[in-house]
Amino acid sequence: MNDTVEQEKEQKEKDQKKFKVEIVYNGVTKPLEVELEQSITAVLQHAIALFGITQNPHLLSLFRQDGSQVPETENVERAGLKPGEVLLLRPNAVKGGGALSLAANIMASSFQTFQNCGQGECECAVFWTGPAGDDVVDGVEHPIHRRSPYGYDVESGWITELWKNLAATKRSVKAQVHTHPGEAFHSATDDHWPIISQAGFISIVIPDFASGRPSLDRAWVGRLTADGRWDHVESVQEAVLIQ
Amino acid sequence: MTALRELTRTSLLCRDYVSDKLTDKEICQHLRAVRVLCVSDLENLSSSSGQTALTTLVSLVSRMGMQVALSIPEVEMIGPQPPLTTGPLRATLFAMSESLIPGASVQGDIGFQPDIVFVLGDTEFDRTQLFWRLNGDAWAGSLQMGEIESRPWRSDWTVGSMISAALAANEAFKFAVRGLPLRDQGNDVFFEPSRACGFDFGEITLSQEIVDLGRVDVISAGAITQSALYALLRFPSVRMSGRIFDDDITADSNMNRNMLSVRADIGTAKAQLVADICADRFQFQAIRSRFTGTGTEIGDLASRVLIGVDDIPSRWQVQRRSSGWLAVGGTSHFSISSSDHSSASPCCGCLHPVDDLAGGNPIPTISFVSFWAGLATAVRLLREGVGQPYGPSQQHLWLTPLRLDQPHAAMWLPVVAVSNCPVSCPASRRLR
Repeated sequence: MNDTVEQEKEQKEKDQKKFKVEIVYNGVTKPLEVELEQSITAVLQHAIALFGITQNPHLLSLFRQDGSQVPETENVERAGLKPGEVLLLRPNAVKGGGALSLAANIMASSFQTFQNCGQGECECAVFWTGPAGDDVVDGVEHPIHRRSPYGYDVESGWITELWKNLAATKRSVKAQVHTHPGEAFHSATDDHWPIISQAGFISIVIPDFASGRPSLDRAWVGRLTADGRWDHVESVQEAVLIQ
Repeated sequence: MTALRELTRTSLLCRDYVSDKLTDKEICQHLRAVRVLCVSDLENLSSSSGQTALTTLVSLVSRMGMQVALSIPEVEMIGPQPPLTTGPLRATLFAMSESLIPGASVQGDIGFQPDIVFVLGDTEFDRTQLFWRLNGDAWAGSLQMGEIESRPWRSDWTVGSMISAALAANEAFKFAVRGLPLRDQGNDVFFEPSRACGFDFGEITLSQEIVDLGRVDVISAGAITQSALYALLRFPSVRMSGRIFDDDITADSNMNRNMLSVRADIGTAKAQLVADICADRFQFQAIRSRFTGTGTEIGDLASRVLIGVDDIPSRWQVQRRSSGWLAVGGTSHFSISSSDHSSASPCCGCLHPVDDLAGGNPIPTISFVSFWAGLATAVRLLREGVGQPYGPSQQHLWLTPLRLDQPHAAMWLPVVAVSNCPVSCPASRRLR
């Protein structure tokens, strides 16, 4: 008896945490039940399933009627979704092509590595990593590499180990960052040998062996296109957001 | 004459929902088999709005490859209806037969067995067959199934008539899709007929005197800007001058949506084509190169800019170079996005802060969706030009025409400044 009462109480509490929002897609509105503790990513997936969307579902995001995007890093409660709220399901371009969001220490850590390793006279490289499927950078990997004032050469065994570690921890390489002696630009070698040859991958070149303050102000920042070219991005914010 | 090349983007859009088992040829054949009858009496064709409703509907439907029959009297054109030549309206529309899509004929109604019928305004029509009426006024348009109280088209202003034509073309398309197997039957909701639907851009106070929009630069001479200029050309009092940038050549695959282009234009430079067709009213210099924003030779952009490019970084580049007002029109499958941006408001980089890496692939398009994007852009320019711009709550329009009978099919939205704005516009900088 007590168990039943307890179960009913639990169910009631659970039900109180549930409500419906209205999802609009292709002009049609459908209700979707959500829970306060549910992640927005899960809500998005349910919304996509609700409309049976199979064409490029990864492009879609939820938008409020005030024009803002519902933050996908939050849950329903923290995102402030309300019962009956109308949410527009529409493309937000290719999320993989979005800007990387850098954790606070990444820039300083990368520059320190460049300065310690390169000593102001040799090129050096790091790889920025983060959780797979996310545009967040929260790790810096400094490869074992041969170095000279005119280039660097990453040891293949180290790369093999990196892939294994990344796979085991469900992480991925988000960008490659290396230094140049003078001006920042993408050399022919840089063009042809990125660590990842996937559209959207970001490459950054830091001038003057990264001898200045930690910043991308004078850096060359480019993004790999689907046809294998590197697009120099006009402003750093297109590719990297520093928290 | 399969019209496969001309309808390649349209069949690609159909593939969002139709069965994968269908070939492109089968999709095209199905579209081309649809027979549309347009009906009007003399009174409803005696105004700019009535004539524009008919010519726009015929163009939009023909660009989907469908067969059109006209049950209308002969009447002189009140004003130019580019890309049609000037002359008697009925004869000129018949001359348009197959000029847009191979096999898409425009003919008389004798012996024609229509699948779908559209009737202009209050034209009498007593068939037992289901039909839709195109109704509206200067700035609002609607479509209603069956007998309802209607008024004749009388307005000199033509936005409402173009809305109703786009709504009708949408119904013709949905009729076609309803005859095709879908990949997921749950998606048939998008293609159900709308018994009554409409849209209102809001009234603009416009005098009959010349309205000079000043200098306007147009980025792209493609489907959206062609639709915008198609709409503006139907306002006899509007004038403007400027430049039109495009490095592309008119291709057969553009015929499904480029409203100022006909098959005879295939192979010609888009920028020159548009500049020439607008020449009587709009003085555009054709710049046959892609606007990259990096060259110094282009000088400053005009104080008003229309953007119709799909490439998102190109939009950012224009926004960076612009110190004035700009309007952006775009499509995404069955939806359109239309926005405008002044130097004080959140910019187009805030609205679309990330690039579409798939942008280089062929984009699925269809006549009436691209037309909506252009029409919305034209209205924004007109409003800006006469000092009646939309407020912040209407800075962005997201509209999906398939089911405009549904409550949220068109949503007016503000544009929110974002900290990751690639343009780093003043509104976004205030957040940092």
